[in-house]
Amino acid sequence: MMALRKVSKFYVLMFFGSLLVNGCTSSANSRYFGKTVAPKDNILRYVTGSEPETLDPHISSGQPEARIYMAIYEGLVEYGPKDMQPIPSIAKSWEISSNVDEFVFHLRDNAKWSDGTPITANDFVYSFRRGFAADTLSSSTELGFFIKYAEAFNGGQVFVKKGDTFLLAKDFGGEEQKPSPGIGPDTDFHKFVQSPIRLTLDGDEKKRAKQIDADPKLKAAVAGAEFVEVKAEDIGVEAVDNYTLRVTLRQPAPFFIGLLAHQFFRLVPKQAIDKWGKEWSRKEHIVTCGAFRIKDIRPYDALILERDPNYWDAGNVHLDGIEFYPVEDNATILNLYKGGVIDAFLNHTVLTSWIDEAKKFKDEYMNFPENATAYYSFNVTKPPFNDIKLRKAFAMAVDNNALSDFRKVTKPLYDLTPSGIFPDYDKARAKVSEDLRKERNVSPDVLAKLGKFDAEQARKTLTEAGFPVQKNGDRYSCPTFPTDQVSLMFNTNENNRAIAEFVQAQWRQNLGVTVPLKSQEFKTFLKDRHEVQYIGLAQSLWSGDYMDPYTFLGLHYGYPNNGDTGFNDPKYNKMLDDANAELDPAKRYEMLARAEFYLMEQQPSIPLTINATNWMKKPYVKGMYPNPGTLIPWKFVYIEQDPTKWHKDIENVMIESDPQVEKQLQELTATQKAAK
Amino acid sequence: MLSFIIRRLLIIIPMALLVVTLTWGLVRIAPGNFYSAEKKLPPAVEANIRKKYGLDQPWYTQYGMMMSNIVRGDFGDSLKYQGQSVNEIIWRHLPYSAVIGLLGYLLALALGLTAGTIAALKQNSGFDYGSMSLAMLGLSVPNFVLGPILVLIFSFWFYLLPPARWGGVSSIILPVITLSAIYAAYIARLTRAGMLEVMRSDYIRTARAKGLDEKTVLLRHAIRGGLIPVLSFTGPALAALLAGTVVVEKVFAIPGLGNIFIQAVLNRDEPLILGVVAFLSILIMIFNLIVDIAYGFLDPRIRYE
Amino acid sequence: MAENIEIVKGASLWRDAWRRLRRNKLAMFGLGVIALMVVAVIIGPMIIKWTTGYTYDWIPTDNNLVKAMPPSFRHLMGTDDAGRDILARVLQGGRISLMVGVISTTVSLIIGVSYGATAGYLGGRIDNLMMRVVDILYSIPYILIVIVLLSVFGGPSTPDWIQWLSTTLGGAGNQGLSQIFLLFFALGLVSWLTMARVVRGQILSLKNQEFVLAAKATGVSTFGIIFRHLVPNALGPVIVYATLTVPSVMLTEAFLSYLGLGVQPPYASWGSLASDGVKNIAIFPWQLLFPGLTMALTLFSLNFLGDGLRDALDPQTRKF
Repeated sequence: MMALRKVSKFYVLMFFGSLLVNGCTSSANSRYFGKTVAPKDNILRYVTGSEPETLDPHISSGQPEARIYMAIYEGLVEYGPKDMQPIPSIAKSWEISSNVDEFVFHLRDNAKWSDGTPITANDFVYSFRRGFAADTLSSSTELGFFIKYAEAFNGGQVFVKKGDTFLLAKDFGGEEQKPSPGIGPDTDFHKFVQSPIRLTLDGDEKKRAKQIDADPKLKAAVAGAEFVEVKAEDIGVEAVDNYTLRVTLRQPAPFFIGLLAHQFFRLVPKQAIDKWGKEWSRKEHIVTCGAFRIKDIRPYDALILERDPNYWDAGNVHLDGIEFYPVEDNATILNLYKGGVIDAFLNHTVLTSWIDEAKKFKDEYMNFPENATAYYSFNVTKPPFNDIKLRKAFAMAVDNNALSDFRKVTKPLYDLTPSGIFPDYDKARAKVSEDLRKERNVSPDVLAKLGKFDAEQARKTLTEAGFPVQKNGDRYSCPTFPTDQVSLMFNTNENNRAIAEFVQAQWRQNLGVTVPLKSQEFKTFLKDRHEVQYIGLAQSLWSGDYMDPYTFLGLHYGYPNNGDTGFNDPKYNKMLDDANAELDPAKRYEMLARAEFYLMEQQPSIPLTINATNWMKKPYVKGMYPNPGTLIPWKFVYIEQDPTKWHKDIENVMIESDPQVEKQLQELTATQKAAK
Repeated sequence: MLSFIIRRLLIIIPMALLVVTLTWGLVRIAPGNFYSAEKKLPPAVEANIRKKYGLDQPWYTQYGMMMSNIVRGDFGDSLKYQGQSVNEIIWRHLPYSAVIGLLGYLLALALGLTAGTIAALKQNSGFDYGSMSLAMLGLSVPNFVLGPILVLIFSFWFYLLPPARWGGVSSIILPVITLSAIYAAYIARLTRAGMLEVMRSDYIRTARAKGLDEKTVLLRHAIRGGLIPVLSFTGPALAALLAGTVVVEKVFAIPGLGNIFIQAVLNRDEPLILGVVAFLSILIMIFNLIVDIAYGFLDPRIRYE
Repeated sequence: MAENIEIVKGASLWRDAWRRLRRNKLAMFGLGVIALMVVAVIIGPMIIKWTTGYTYDWIPTDNNLVKAMPPSFRHLMGTDDAGRDILARVLQGGRISLMVGVISTTVSLIIGVSYGATAGYLGGRIDNLMMRVVDILYSIPYILIVIVLLSVFGGPSTPDWIQWLSTTLGGAGNQGLSQIFLLFFALGLVSWLTMARVVRGQILSLKNQEFVLAAKATGVSTFGIIFRHLVPNALGPVIVYATLTVPSVMLTEAFLSYLGLGVQPPYASWGSLASDGVKNIAIFPWQLLFPGLTMALTLFSLNFLGDGLRDALDPQTRKF
């Protein structure tokens, strides 16, 4: 019997022992991570995350899809490879009205669809109208609600026509639009779209009746009036001629051009959609307009693209093709990369525990700030966190610096908007902070410390809020705090879990409060968070939609909003409205910064971290940059066969100049510069 | 026997519809919608979506519409993957799961039956303990651990096999081995137990008494009875395997049905969930029917009226 | 007829079996390890907390220690990525894994064996009906069942009495624990199905044997025939299958935890520890090694014990 027991033990030891041995030898002194051979076929193989939902850019708002759409569809502008600032695409140049509420785009005349049809301004008009059409079911329409009447059209609303005139919004509490000079030739449509904003009411009769009943003035006005449906033709998009497009907004939006690179504003092919209906995006029917076209679609396996000879800038497309692989498991993605099966992969993929290892490969690991923030929202509508003091105590008890050290790929976040992404906004914030200090006449460190980690102060605040903190030895306890009325809810993934466990430990160690964790399956989590049904706190991760701080500040604007805290403050809403009406960009930023400051004093959330890009690419892949959204304009990307020209020390990639990319970028932006 | 089979076949369709109904109820109770995402939809957009998919109708109308389509074999289009029909998705991804699942199970059968039978015949021998310990190892090392270990060894130490993705024979070796380990272990242990049971039964003693040689006793009599526990296990296991194996598909990035199904549940992609569930339930019932018939062949004492 | 005589002196069956089991050294070794493991997971966490101050969720206050550290005198099994003591986590995880294993297996034994045996023995329409119910339950995706269970009983819309029940059972308002109870319930719900099929298959082949006919002829009740005659004769595969159920529910639990439907962090289970550890096998092998070894050792022992039990309880071997 003894011998037999030894046999079985031997198996176990051999098995696990072999792992241990491997553990010590795997970190070989190689310069590169795994197999590193530049592919001879000039085809880039990339993992973009989960399987794309659809190839219809109007439908899907996801990031994996966005990267694919950037290869096969173009819009008026494209994200710049390094900074994501808009660069000319099908629009070779544009003009902006002095009010920043009207834009005229001059399209290039040599742009073509993959089937050879020329692209004209009418294609854009069609695409915009389709995007907003109710039955397209786009989930991104909100991004385009700045366009005049787009929201009304999307929501199936109606104008109110009385006799020959329409009721106007400003007469019924709506914002008055500043008279805009407008640009471009005057047409009938232009006269219509430049006229004061009309009143729109709900398209649904019952809801409309309610709306009307609630407002006596309105009720009197609509008597005998006729309701006219808002049509696609009413939205503020106009083809002035074949190669001139004019877009009119309902309010000034200084960041609007940057928004236009989003997938929602990319072109969809009328010719294919008319012919094939919802099946137009299948392999056999699809028509594209980007630098690459579809060669093969193998769902859940690969999406294979090849260079499109019809593309207007085909001479500047360096890759012969791209293969997108849908893979979700991070460990598997790393394995594929290490095995040389893929050349690069999407952001947020290197496992935290692997980061120290990955950082050793200095030519490959991408650690750059991202246009995304992680924070915990409080449910401000339910006790105990309807008490602002309590919110402050919990926020102050979290050591953001320690958290980002632990996470390795993040920078601490102290506000709503990430720092280091919008340099001008950072300056505005510094100025506002200084101004406020003078206004309130406090010493500099009072404001500097606001929202920062301070365990002592946190305990004091919690005690003041009615939950005395006791000290027992070197640990604290807060026996009266109702831990059964709070929880920290997050959707299950290892990163969220690690952060939650860490923050839970911080609260326990600094406040003596153990907040139960609640890890939930994603859709359950979303329901509880969106309906603000959770108790205590919920995890939030917000990626900016465009390169302007408003993409973050708008989270708590209006109600219901995407902040999911139940926070709704008319004063804050007004501050944002006023800021967006400001035409001077520097002044606008200052007004936004003041609003942000005001918001953070209400502490509807605990800012945690600014995420980092956290991805890798092989050193032979060039022209691919770790920009703040990991959205890659593929036509700049090329594969360098000569190892002496491979990337070295990738941390300089953003400041280093790549002559080929610079030249390509200069040629592209020249048209817009010339127009100015 | 024939009428038994016909009766069992006839009942499959109503049973599958019952399963679909229950699943539909669960999907409806489960929180969240297929369209819910990190970013909340504007109310108007949400209303548009609900209207388009008939979610604004009373539940019995929705149920009636869904059932009348399903009865005609039409599960509709996936809600998440627009423009792709459920039938298309199932038939497109079934082959991947089937190849991995069948090969894995065949390997497991070959290993498990051999090891289990020999272990039973040489009870308490070195081989018995050795193979049963190995089987236990197969059981106690989860496939989400075994897969990465195999990848480490064969893809990164010896650079023999690709670490993941579908493509060619070399790419399915690791997934098949990973998958078969746990089943081989199951089968080996069940076979051994079943065989031990049978070897002591009266009819084996009779066979031996008749003077049949040990080989005939084993192959013609004992193994048939000894297989019964394996058979009970095989029916549902094989059906589940054909419909995909989540962990292995995830670790090796194989486009099989298992992962798609889990994603469908997590996405609340109702038509896809119902389609796969209907397919799976039919598969399970057919396999269980085959198992029940096989009982009769393996053991003449089992009869069906 | 020999069996009948034994049944009359039912008590001696177990005494007999125990005597037999004691002679089986491998089984006793298994029993010893399991007993040790049970004691360890019950008092281990307290001892560790008392001697070193570490608990399963203690993240060091010193930032330099918040990282994966190899085994040392302070941390016998090393630490995980957050600097938590793996030994403390393995012991705490053992509580959950063993509970998951024991509860689900018990449920599967009680429901599965009686259900399968009844169906197999009664046969005909009843068998058909009962087995179709199993087929249906088997076909409904259990993930969906778990999602619904957790949302109905574990979410903000949970009825009051259920909340009261779970807080009473789970200890002072700890929302993390009530989910564990739901998990046990859900795992129990699915784990008996295959057991029922295995038992039924076994009974089908036994029920026409002479000893059953003899029992019938002597007027033993149906209940008596099923549970005193048929089930003991099918115990071999049942015990083996029960020992197989333990690892399979432990792995199901790990998978559910991975989907956010299982154990609530910072609690862990052996399965979830292993699935965390396996990602780091090439850099921090101890994170997989120790949870894996503990789990494997326990399952091995369980298996030896199961085999021993099977031999000891086998009515056939008792004749010799």
